[in-house]
Amino acid sequence: MSGNTKTLKLRIKSVDSTLHLTKAMGLVASSKMRKANLAMAAGRQYEKAVQNVVDLLTAVPDCQSSPFMREYKDGGKTRLIVIAGDRGLAGGYNANIFRTVRDFNEAEIIPIGKRACERYGKEIVSSEKFYAADAFRLAKELCEQFANGEFDRLGIVSTNYISMMTQTPDIKWVLPLTKSENAQNTAAVFEPDECTILDIAVPEYLSGMIVSCVRESFASEVAARRMAMDSAGKNAQQMIDELQLEYNRARQGAITQEITEIVAGAGN
Amino acid sequence: MNTYKLIISTPDGSVFDDNAEILVVRGTEGELAVMAGHIPFITAVKPGKCKIALSESSEKTATIGGGILTVQNDKTTLLCSDFKWD
Repeated sequence: MSGNTKTLKLRIKSVDSTLHLTKAMGLVASSKMRKANLAMAAGRQYEKAVQNVVDLLTAVPDCQSSPFMREYKDGGKTRLIVIAGDRGLAGGYNANIFRTVRDFNEAEIIPIGKRACERYGKEIVSSEKFYAADAFRLAKELCEQFANGEFDRLGIVSTNYISMMTQTPDIKWVLPLTKSENAQNTAAVFEPDECTILDIAVPEYLSGMIVSCVRESFASEVAARRMAMDSAGKNAQQMIDELQLEYNRARQGAITQEITEIVAGAGN
Repeated sequence: MNTYKLIISTPDGSVFDDNAEILVVRGTEGELAVMAGHIPFITAVKPGKCKIALSESSEKTATIGGGILTVQNDKTTLLCSDFKWD
């Protein structure tokens, strides 16, 4: 009996240390949440502003012949920017992203986030410490390659932050540019001309999209981790309760047996 | 002097969102200033100094890393990849 209580005690101890770990990770995630949300809001705002400019430009007839507006045809080369987390233990966050990417076998992949980089065997790029300058450099390079026809469409696979509880993986196709439906013709003056501005605006647009997606994904990652750690903590607590009950029963059993033995011995 | 709504936005958030009198930046065709009542206008902005006059007495300068300037009837937006107050 004493062997049984010992193993139970050990198990309780190990589950307890898991509980501590999940609690700590949950706390770290909550403290990062606020900052991540602010960064996400900033990124979204910039994205919206750049989107406005690009909408204006794509509505102009002169820009239709721009290399950035050529139509995508089936069978063209696809490139995907895949944004995943730096760390695991965030529920299905990373797995959901990779599942979305699986539908595009032939796509060339540009990973952001340590997990994605490890998976696709590329140089490590952090998604938590991803700066606007990094995005701009990447966007410029991609724009040049796209204009040269090295690939035919570009998508960003990232996670949409819907609320603390829900985050969904999503693909946004950013290149080629599409004419927006709600674009109205403006009487704005373009200096020097529409096409030159479009050429300058596209890298800005792309880097704005990348930054905003990275920020949104990071906020999703933190939220997903918090939720995962919350439920892991709950499960650990439940397990401890069950083990504690079993331990008490075993302990009580051992005492009863000992008394029975003593009484039996005294009776002789 | 009349003022107009000026928003300066970077990927890390908006750095300026207030009324201004004059904005001076380097456009593709040379330096330009935007005042209230400017016609709708879009231009690319080169990296360099940028000057914002909030009123006749107060003026701010900053270094910007290139971007796009959009002047619309209700507001003026300067989008730039990099922005730092001097």
